[in-house]
Amino acid sequence: MIANLVVGGLAAGCLYAMVGIAIVIVLNITDIANFAQGEMAMLSTFFAYWLMDGLGLAWWQAVPIAIAFGLVQGIVIQQVVIRPLIGGPVLSAIIATLGLNVVLNSVAGLIWGHQTYTFPSPFAFSPPFIIGGVPVAVDSVVNLAAALAIIVALTLFLRFTWTGLGLRAASQNQTVARLMGISITRTSAIAWGLGGLVGAVAGVLVAPSLFLDTNLMGALLIKAFAGGVLGGLNSLIGVFLGCLTIGVAENLAGAYVSPSFADATTFIVIIAVLTVRPEGVFGHVRVRKA
Amino acid sequence: MSAAIDIMRVARPRASPGWGTAVVGICLLFACAAPLGLNGYGLYLLTLTEIFVLVALGLNLLTGYAGQISLCHASFFGVGAYATAILTQKAGLPYLLSLLLGAFLTTAIGALAAVPALRLKNIYLAIATLGFGVVLQKITFEWRSLTGGGGGLALTPPSIAGYELGAVGLYYLTLILMTAGLFGAWNVSRGRTGRALLIIKDGEIAAGSLGIHASRYKVTAFAISAFYAAIAGGLFAYLVRYINPESFSVGLSISFLSMVVIGGLGTIGGSILGAIFYVIVPELLRGIKDAPGLVFGLLLVIVMVFMPQGLWGMLRRLGRRS
Repeated sequence: MIANLVVGGLAAGCLYAMVGIAIVIVLNITDIANFAQGEMAMLSTFFAYWLMDGLGLAWWQAVPIAIAFGLVQGIVIQQVVIRPLIGGPVLSAIIATLGLNVVLNSVAGLIWGHQTYTFPSPFAFSPPFIIGGVPVAVDSVVNLAAALAIIVALTLFLRFTWTGLGLRAASQNQTVARLMGISITRTSAIAWGLGGLVGAVAGVLVAPSLFLDTNLMGALLIKAFAGGVLGGLNSLIGVFLGCLTIGVAENLAGAYVSPSFADATTFIVIIAVLTVRPEGVFGHVRVRKA
Repeated sequence: MSAAIDIMRVARPRASPGWGTAVVGICLLFACAAPLGLNGYGLYLLTLTEIFVLVALGLNLLTGYAGQISLCHASFFGVGAYATAILTQKAGLPYLLSLLLGAFLTTAIGALAAVPALRLKNIYLAIATLGFGVVLQKITFEWRSLTGGGGGLALTPPSIAGYELGAVGLYYLTLILMTAGLFGAWNVSRGRTGRALLIIKDGEIAAGSLGIHASRYKVTAFAISAFYAAIAGGLFAYLVRYINPESFSVGLSISFLSMVVIGGLGTIGGSILGAIFYVIVPELLRGIKDAPGLVFGLLLVIVMVFMPQGLWGMLRRLGRRS
């Protein structure tokens, strides 16, 4: 019983984690909490659906194109909406992403309507793994692997490439980074592109289990933020573990405390943890000298 | 640095009651005469705007002055609405008394919400307050014997001293309370508390070294802010005459925050403009086929991209140039 709940929770947590990672890349590098992340991912997923359903491409062809679309989408949005706001109040940028969230949602609604679509998955018909007597869907395993792969790839990118180092420098101190010859507008564009890319991966992997409609990401976005905050926003692995914890905690609270209080219980846990560790469990205090 | 400029601006004594007072006077005059020229729906919208102005004033004190993000203001608004409604309908107290009691209850809850906020910043604070809001909303939802749960509460018109408060009466009550709220916010922001909050926003360590008790002022800011939201909630409950836990969701909290940012952070005029924007613009867009959401979202983006300091900041810049 507990094992089933935990596995189900981990599967849900994985979905949160992928959206969470996309949010955190942008948040860490540009300080902007991107409320449009969910809708950006939703749009990329719809694009993939259109490639398969409208143009008849196979999953393996459509998904890479959709991921590239996510990357371009992130860069375009950064250039049009975020770039003019660099240096302005952060809250203004956040509210702008909120507006963007509404815009993208309406655009998707105008193009594809508000009905629900089934998004295909190449793993849908594989028999589930049985681990210790608990059935685990192949989709969940793929999601877990994908989330880990994204984390490893991003960590390597941020540690060992010049561009990645530039991104990290910009996230620590924009003025000094600029003095070292790093273009802030470019790092911001790269961050948004990466966010769009990871979001597209998340969307494509999430859609088979949640079904595709314009509100695909509505529920995930808040949970992803919450998981990120719980784990600590400046550590990718922290975000991942935080999101998994949220998924498991929700399932356990739903089963053992009260189904209707599952969300509330999760948030009480988060507030309690934050009271003790204000930077999240795996986060570290960013020293800031004014 | 910016705090110093803000404080100079805020604390500067006005040489003479000039333009500002005249504009405020004219606006109030129009507001008093409004019920003569508006139909029922127009009056409803105006009352709603004034209610949102009250919430935005309180939230602006917290976010614009103290720099604390709150995503639980919809639940303060909701607690105010439910407390007022329950005290009036079920306990039979006079409307104004229950409005006040509801506001005091919410103020206490607001101070409680500030406790986790004392150590948290930015997005961490946003998520913690969001969680607080979710918990409050869930409690209203599940406490069925008191709140009616998901079925909501239907309300009968309240009466003050035997006079039944219709749409016009409620409008004038809202107008009076909003004016009092404006006056209060104006005084708080210019006074000791407002200046202390501005310094806390810029640097808590700096504030501490000036002898400002940052935690105490943060709790005060949360409490005042919750008080404003609760009074607004108590008025809102009787404006719509039907309240439901669903109405006080995270989405509404986010709308409140957008109001403050769109209008202009840390300004009283901004709170007013933001509330007007949020009520009137969607009304104007209702005629557009298919996509009121699309246009509203676009406007939100455009306002932020071209006026990062908000509508009020834009007006002030234009005023200075001329």
